[in-house]
Amino acid sequence: MRVFDFSLGEMLWSRRSVFLALLVGGPVVIALAIRVAVSAFSGLPRINGSTVSGSALFGMMIWLIYIRFIVPVLGVFYGTSLIADEVDDKTITYLFTRPIRRSAVLLGKYLAYLACTVLLVLPSVVLVYFFIVPLGGSIGESFPALVEDLGMLAIGLVAYGALFSWVGARLKRPLIIGLVFVFGWEPGVLLFPGYLKRLTIAYYVQALVPHAMPQDSAVSVLMQVFHEVPSVWISLIALCAISVFALWAAGRMVETREYVLEQ
Amino acid sequence: MTDSPPPVVTAQHLSKWYGQVIGLNDVTLVVPPGITGLLGPNGAGKSTFMKLITGQLEPSQGTISVLGEPIWGNPALYFRIGFCPEQDAFYDRMTGLEWVTALVGLNGVSAEEALRLARRALDLVDLTDAAGKKIGAYSKGMRQRVKMAQALAHDPDLLILDEPLSGMDPIGRRKTIRLIKEWGRAGKNIIVSSHILHEIEAMTSNILLINQGRILAEGNVHQIRDLIDEHPHTVHVKADEPRALARQFLTFDDVLSLRFEDEAVVVQTARPDAFYARLTGLAATGELGAIHEVTSPDDNLQAVFKYLVKS
Repeated sequence: MRVFDFSLGEMLWSRRSVFLALLVGGPVVIALAIRVAVSAFSGLPRINGSTVSGSALFGMMIWLIYIRFIVPVLGVFYGTSLIADEVDDKTITYLFTRPIRRSAVLLGKYLAYLACTVLLVLPSVVLVYFFIVPLGGSIGESFPALVEDLGMLAIGLVAYGALFSWVGARLKRPLIIGLVFVFGWEPGVLLFPGYLKRLTIAYYVQALVPHAMPQDSAVSVLMQVFHEVPSVWISLIALCAISVFALWAAGRMVETREYVLEQ
Repeated sequence: MTDSPPPVVTAQHLSKWYGQVIGLNDVTLVVPPGITGLLGPNGAGKSTFMKLITGQLEPSQGTISVLGEPIWGNPALYFRIGFCPEQDAFYDRMTGLEWVTALVGLNGVSAEEALRLARRALDLVDLTDAAGKKIGAYSKGMRQRVKMAQALAHDPDLLILDEPLSGMDPIGRRKTIRLIKEWGRAGKNIIVSSHILHEIEAMTSNILLINQGRILAEGNVHQIRDLIDEHPHTVHVKADEPRALARQFLTFDDVLSLRFEDEAVVVQTARPDAFYARLTGLAATGELGAIHEVTSPDDNLQAVFKYLVKS
């Protein structure tokens, strides 16, 4: 818990947090702009000539902004930096010459990442919900879906963060590998039928989304054609297994790896 | 018969290499209790040795134990060790007090106790007044001292200080040297590294000389002098008639080589005591002119070090 306290303070005041704030603040600003525009023009927004309800718009934002972008990006940027930042800043020595296991240091930092991201992402989603859903819809009706959204996003942050903690502990250029994974590998294999998509996190996270997948582009249409949805339980078990394995492997890696600092 | 105190560090055929580069090469040594200085030029292997004894690196070959236990993968041993690393790296947004408190808190003490220990440590290194300032605003000397504070805050049995005087002003150096000596007198074990001889000399007479990944010598200054006596010893003789003296020196069986420098003859001898005795005799007779000055670059620690590094 001491590493958690220590790391949470550092994380919240780091340059990366400015990026995080911009990232999670963006959808809120978009939602507010939509709300203002709808109030000013007294009409629901239209996409491709069709009127879209607030609830459907919220679902689109969850898919396009949070699931496909914010959650994986936060997982990559924070997960890969848990140990790498301390190595780059040469402060890892202070943590690794204390009477705590190195894997406990990693776990404390991972929990700090989780607290930091969950506490910023989920309120952002809630704000977007309250700005958007009342447009032609009812908050009461869609509230259970909001709870599912929040749970799904938190689980996504858990899984992506764990995976990229491992990548960060294992590889020398973890950020590039992470970005290639979330913007290359995952969308790539999800476009095609077959088993490869099971080697992604997105495959399982998307199965937990309570909204229909939007058809915003040709790629999205293609994705939907080959969209296989595992059951919620299989997804939960798979995400849990991925997270536990990745954290175990990351812990094992930091226990045995030598971190040679540049002089 | 009394039991001698256990060694602080024991290394057996210890080697460490980074790919093709050797950092430390087949080192066997015992570091006794008290203050020990690790001396060597930059790139000699000091940092590798420091990283090995602080468990940051795993030996490629051989074994190392610190306070009687292996250090690699043994975090419990850090309850008894305090480490002040060489790098000037901090969480700059924290104040000195926050930083030391946070680090000592990782030793499992309560938050109140961590704060008390941090205050005491900052007081010991004369940083009480600056405890509430951000580390980013500290001078280099203050940063060195706050690093030392985090190392000693939990009152460890062994303090390992990697270049602790680097970047300090003369007054800061003097204070820190005094502090280190006080800790040594208080029964703490300290291993302190430096590439500057007079710094180490001011702290301890027990030294380890390291170069090119090897320990060249270990022990106190006198033992090292004895060691030197096993090697050629250089004597610089300034005289009126250096060439006449040189001819005489060539008849001594212990003289290994001769060369001239300005008005002096520089002799290498295998038996310095015998050489000095004969030289005194020659000077007393005055047969070969006056001998103005006899110096040996081996007469101080700096020379000892240079000598061993060259040999």
